[in-house]
Amino acid sequence: MATRNRTALFRKYRTALQQVRPASASTSAQGAVVELSNAPLLRGAASGYNRLSTVDVDGSREGVVSVGLPPPWVDVSEEVAIDMQKIRSKMGELAKAHARALMPTFDDIKGKGQEHNIELMSQDITRLLKKCEQKLRQLSQDRGHSEDMKLRVNVQRSLATDLQTLSVEFRKHQKGYLQRLQQQQQQERASITASYERGKEDEFYDPGFNEQQMSRLKKAEVLSEEREKEVQQIMESVNDLAQIMKDLSTLVIDQGTIVDRIDYNVQQVATSIEQGVRELEQAERTQKKGDMVFCVMVLIALCVFMICVLIFKKLVL
Amino acid sequence: MVLVAAVRDYVSKMLSDIAGMKVFVLDAQTLAIVSVATSQSELLQKEVFLVEKAESTSSEPMTHLKAVCFLRPTAENMQNLKEILGQPRFGEYHLFFSNILKTNFVQNLADFDQHEAVQQVQEFYADFIALDPYHFTLNTPSNHLYMVPLLFDPTKIQPLCERIIEGVSSVFLALKKRPVIRYSRNSEIARRIAQDAARLMYEQEAALFDFRRTEVLPLLLIIDRRDDPVTPLLNQWTYQAMVHELIGIQDNKVDLREYSRVPKDQQEVVLSSEQDPFFRSNMFENFGDLGMNVKKMVDTFQSQHKSNQNIQSLEDMARFVENYPEFRKMQGNVSKHVALMTEMSRLVDERKLMSVSQAEQELACHSSQAAAWDELNAQWELPGVTDDEKLRLAMLYALRYERENPQQLQELVDRLNAGRSKYNSNLLYSLLKQAGEEKRTGDLFSNRDLFNRARTMARGLKGVENVYTQHQPLVFHLIESIVKGRLKDADYPFVGNHAQQGKPQDVVIFIIGGTTYAESRVVALQNAANPGTRVLLGGTVVHNSKSFLRDLEEVQRVGRASIY
Repeated sequence: MATRNRTALFRKYRTALQQVRPASASTSAQGAVVELSNAPLLRGAASGYNRLSTVDVDGSREGVVSVGLPPPWVDVSEEVAIDMQKIRSKMGELAKAHARALMPTFDDIKGKGQEHNIELMSQDITRLLKKCEQKLRQLSQDRGHSEDMKLRVNVQRSLATDLQTLSVEFRKHQKGYLQRLQQQQQQERASITASYERGKEDEFYDPGFNEQQMSRLKKAEVLSEEREKEVQQIMESVNDLAQIMKDLSTLVIDQGTIVDRIDYNVQQVATSIEQGVRELEQAERTQKKGDMVFCVMVLIALCVFMICVLIFKKLVL
Repeated sequence: MVLVAAVRDYVSKMLSDIAGMKVFVLDAQTLAIVSVATSQSELLQKEVFLVEKAESTSSEPMTHLKAVCFLRPTAENMQNLKEILGQPRFGEYHLFFSNILKTNFVQNLADFDQHEAVQQVQEFYADFIALDPYHFTLNTPSNHLYMVPLLFDPTKIQPLCERIIEGVSSVFLALKKRPVIRYSRNSEIARRIAQDAARLMYEQEAALFDFRRTEVLPLLLIIDRRDDPVTPLLNQWTYQAMVHELIGIQDNKVDLREYSRVPKDQQEVVLSSEQDPFFRSNMFENFGDLGMNVKKMVDTFQSQHKSNQNIQSLEDMARFVENYPEFRKMQGNVSKHVALMTEMSRLVDERKLMSVSQAEQELACHSSQAAAWDELNAQWELPGVTDDEKLRLAMLYALRYERENPQQLQELVDRLNAGRSKYNSNLLYSLLKQAGEEKRTGDLFSNRDLFNRARTMARGLKGVENVYTQHQPLVFHLIESIVKGRLKDADYPFVGNHAQQGKPQDVVIFIIGGTTYAESRVVALQNAANPGTRVLLGGTVVHNSKSFLRDLEEVQRVGRASIY
């Protein structure tokens, strides 16, 4: 893949041409300092930007393009990006917590603490996802210039795609955890019933241990009930996310369709402007027609009135 | 992958080195170049949040964005850049041009950049529209000018020649190769372009083209559409070619808005082998097999749809929501292909294409004149055959048997005159004048020498798989000869003192006047069959029968307008 860089040649020409040019411009710049520095600020206020103009007076033309601060919605999009970063790191932690919780332990108290922890983290992540989605909707709400609007819609789309992939990942993690939990549950139940059965066989030989086994059985049952509750909660959060996914899918572009084509998107602006012009013309025409219709009606009314007058005169006569 | 990958690499290189929110500024042609290679969602991933045209007259300043301009180095763009740089709307400007810049262009640019907004000026040679991995086009306007003799009006033809040379040279720069050049002997324009290209690559910009030499140099073969006027006139029965013939594909987009029975969201669809795996595996399949594959796809989709209807537990719900994006994509894809198939079936029935096409193939492939004449007359009488089809049949007959019986030709022209054809019936004679037997290089009907005739007879005896796809374009025979290293010098001479021993591994065939999808199919199939040789095909436009006839009409009009 061959390329060629012409920047050096370009810069050479540019500096050469500048040395030829600015001899005339810098003399006038001295007198007009105040105007020069005020004008950009006024212009800036009109277009809603805060401009920091950096006009150098001593003639060197560095940065006459004033670098403006971006509009406020950019801050919103950056907040969303930061939140998504937070979500990613939290999901990493959650994955680790899942792995730890799934390891078999004999200590119930630590188990409870872990479960609580996991629940908190999952709720946290869900909350963050919802917050991001709401902020995303905010992005396209206030109508601005058409160009700015397009820009905003595109930023929104890109963030929506990322958000959607994040939520899908989150759900997959949760589902995986859920499945493994259920597997463990089943294994425990199986082992409990197996040990119970074995216990029953031993009854004839060792009746003394019956009570101990019963208490163990009760403890195991309590444990499995709690696990079931946990599973239910996770299912609920999974369905919460389903709602978010559905809302997001309206914002995301379907890849491979006509909407994903660059030339189609560029032409949409052109066609909508054309249509706007056509509609204006149409409106003009109908308005004119409206005037005409009014005149026609007035004339007809007058005619009818005159005819009535004539008839009356004849009658009177 | 090759051509599309090259353009994608250029685009991603342009965008990835620049951080922050970006605007992509394109002109009408680079817009097409970029649109076929990459998609809106990919641009969004690279933080390009706005795409603008260079001619845009908007004056809204957005200085927190950086502008990446990808333009062709034309005079028009020079004007646009003057306005853009005179009042810069964006914070920074990074300029990329799709072809070689002349020094005075750079000078003018430097003059316009009074605000020093330009950070870099580079040449990225993506100056062609990469439709498929092995097929590119240039979408030149006024394509018919290639048929106008060179001495007639050199100034008009100059821009076309320049565009062709720029396009072809950019292909080689993108592939980093410098070829030996051969051209079609009987075509003046092919010789002119071959010589200009050689001068560019070996003399004017020799340093730029000085790449690592391989053992056997690559080959650039420049031929003329008029060497094979038969292929664009035939009806096509393989998916991509058929869609273009019956409906029309422009830059991998199909416009179905004129067809009333198409659902709202399928009015404009994309047929891209890069993005659509079903299309990629079926683009060269014939109509019958295609129908079966579409049916299979619909069945799979229906079964998945049914299982989605059948949601009973929370788990099913969760699974449905998880798979929803993919399901939606599949649904869109299925409706697209079903809509296309429906339209094409309808057109085939309406225009009686099955019988007409059989006659066309007979005319193109077999050489018994009496049988051909009878067949032609039989088709003529059929009800429902449109005037366009009649014209095409007549043209195919004329191309094959132009010498045998001039009276028959006159009779055909008279019959066409009697009909209500919207094409001028003298088009037949125009075609013969442009692409008649003495004007053509190469052996279009494989009947010039004994060996070829014997081969066709043997093939005829063997029988064909499918009556509707028996015709092989001239390009097929050319590629066969190239792969064997036996392309005749007499027909396709080398430029200057180029010479080649051995069989080239990289070949670019450029058809001045336009390619067809049937030919690109041949190229793709040959590439799959001969992995040692890679052939790329390019042209000024992509033809179907309508566009080819339109070009003929334009040339006729130009000729008449100046008493030529």
